[in-house]
Amino acid sequence: MGNPLLTFWARRNRREEEERRARRARLLASAASANRASETVFLVLRRMRAPLIVLIAIFSISVVGLTVIPGQDAEGRPWDMGFFDAIYVMSYTATTIGFGEIPYPFTYNQRMWLTISIYLTVVGWAYAIGSLLGLLQDRAFRSALALQQFTRKVARLSEPFVLIAGYGRAGELLGHSMDALGRRVVVLDRNAERIDGLELESYHGDVPGLAADARDPGHLGVAGLDHPCCEAVVALTDDDEANLAVVMTTALLRPDVPVIARATTDVMAERMRVFGSPSVVNPFDLFGDHVQLALRAPASYQLLTWLESGPGAPLPHRASPPRGGRWVVCGYGRLGRELTEDLRAEGIDVTVIDPSPHDDVDDVVVAGGYESGVLAAVGLEEAVGFVAGTDNDITNLSLVETARRTNPTLFLAARQNVPSSAPLFAAMELDALLVPTEEIAHEVYAQLSTPLLWRFLRDMPALGDEWAAQLVDRLTALCGQHLQALWKVRLTEREAPALMPWLASGEARLGDLMRNPEDRDECLHAVPLLLLRRDDATLAPGPDALLATGDELLLAGWPAARRALERTLIVDAVREYVVSGRRVPSSWLWRRLAGTPTADEETGDRPPAPTPS
Amino acid sequence: MNLEKVVFGFFVLLAATLNFGFFLGDMRDPDLHNPYELFAAVVVNLIALVLKFGDRTQIGAVHLATSIVAVLQLVGAALMYGYAEYVSSAGMTEGWTSSVVSLSGGALLANLVSVVLLVIETVSFHRG
Repeated sequence: MGNPLLTFWARRNRREEEERRARRARLLASAASANRASETVFLVLRRMRAPLIVLIAIFSISVVGLTVIPGQDAEGRPWDMGFFDAIYVMSYTATTIGFGEIPYPFTYNQRMWLTISIYLTVVGWAYAIGSLLGLLQDRAFRSALALQQFTRKVARLSEPFVLIAGYGRAGELLGHSMDALGRRVVVLDRNAERIDGLELESYHGDVPGLAADARDPGHLGVAGLDHPCCEAVVALTDDDEANLAVVMTTALLRPDVPVIARATTDVMAERMRVFGSPSVVNPFDLFGDHVQLALRAPASYQLLTWLESGPGAPLPHRASPPRGGRWVVCGYGRLGRELTEDLRAEGIDVTVIDPSPHDDVDDVVVAGGYESGVLAAVGLEEAVGFVAGTDNDITNLSLVETARRTNPTLFLAARQNVPSSAPLFAAMELDALLVPTEEIAHEVYAQLSTPLLWRFLRDMPALGDEWAAQLVDRLTALCGQHLQALWKVRLTEREAPALMPWLASGEARLGDLMRNPEDRDECLHAVPLLLLRRDDATLAPGPDALLATGDELLLAGWPAARRALERTLIVDAVREYVVSGRRVPSSWLWRRLAGTPTADEETGDRPPAPTPS
Repeated sequence: MNLEKVVFGFFVLLAATLNFGFFLGDMRDPDLHNPYELFAAVVVNLIALVLKFGDRTQIGAVHLATSIVAVLQLVGAALMYGYAEYVSSAGMTEGWTSSVVSLSGGALLANLVSVVLLVIETVSFHRG
């Protein structure tokens, strides 16, 4: 195809074709699950057929019987019961209300028929009502109702939301962090108990949850994969295969939505990367990297974990793993393997203890570690670090305690597998603790909360330990021991209208902006973490950093500082005071009286009286 | 032979025939319209309605719709009949009778559509 115009058209058509295909697949996926919901309703109707027909038949037979049997009126004259009377009598008799013999006392003949009818109709009613109540209790029916309710809730979402497939411990932590940021979350999990538990948790926003298998594209479709407001999909199930299925479904049906998936092996991570460009999180790999970082730069590691923990997190303890000396790693599973590799890459001697022999690693002692004498035999007295990394919490706890008895100066690290053992590990006062689920939740939070935080965390280790230590000191001095709020500010016409003339002057310094609008001599209780201008990021910009229109700022600090800064960005008079110290009138009338056409051209004359905005 | 189809066809047809039987005769003469026949038509139409529950096909949906129409009209006719007999002091006058019969005539039309649908369904069914 030589003609460029033809090439253009062909390409355009191909793109359109692809878009159409994706749209069609999306529609099919959601239609499949919607069909399943209505199918159950039809099933219920179908199952009510027999009881209803029995009821109608019994009722009509008894009514006809009553109208046919001759009766008597009050004076003993022959009288035939009409249809209305018969239906009336049968209605109150069948439903066991029993008003008596209306309109005239019955003859024996009528009473005989009524006796038979009572038994027939009561059985008929009981059968119909029993079937109906049974259907309402039916699991399939209830899940169909839940699915419909969930579909409605998700369809009504009108703000961006994150779809979390797999609501385990990691999903829960992530959900709460996102909720604290004011972001919406939709949850999918196979375990109905986890979904039922959603109602008891203290979320600010409403979190729609569905108990369904995330491997089914239909379920993902119902959970909002095809919703225009879906901003990201997170696959956090404990089954790697299911996570792969989620990555696949999203890549095929919504190529424009970013995916973050949990994978515990490299092979699975590779398989996931075949589909688009998902962000794969491997908790063990991550822990290895973190230990490496902690070995090189304890303060950087401290800052990283603090910022990753989400709003309200206390400043973590600055652990400094010893570099010179030998480490002992107990358990050579997925964690042990990663950790040993990372430690050896740092040039540290590692002795591995594992119950089963391994050929791919040197210096392995085949033992459980808890046998008497094993720890002494591997020379724990001379070692500097000990890691209990088996997948059994009881074993890990006992290993750590034994190691501490043998050598009290050891640097102790352990892996916590189930949330319920958290108090035990806390009581042990370890130097480092790996909780795989928390590790994942923090990493995903860092990626999702704002792109600026993710950028900061990636660039931060390169600046060294000294720099990180200073930043931690600045943060704790200004904002205290707890991470309060983390937010982003865009210096654009829309978000910072009051700042525009000041930014255009070219003399806009960050230090002037970070002042308290009540008293400009006091600085704002917030630290700018990152300044992003197009693609250039400046980490922790100083007070002299020059600002320009279109810059993005990431700040950490008190929520009150956030509100104060917002006022500076929006109200002209506040900005003028904060930046230059001049009080200018903010209301239209006072501005007219003071004769100032625009606030920024003020010459320094004090207005007659400062007016609050 | 499918017993379910036999039962279904039987009730649909019986609903139409009973309805037709009640409708037949001078519109103004109450003696020509037997209340027992109206009662039977209501009951059989109700059963036909319940039998049509839970069919997911397009033709099943139209079947259900026709039955609902027929039942509504017949119940309306029965209510008017009851009102004329028990509440109104004049009894079954010509006016009341013709109202009841014309309502049942509407139901008859719906029932005929139902029968036509049944025939179409049968004709369009190919073996193998």
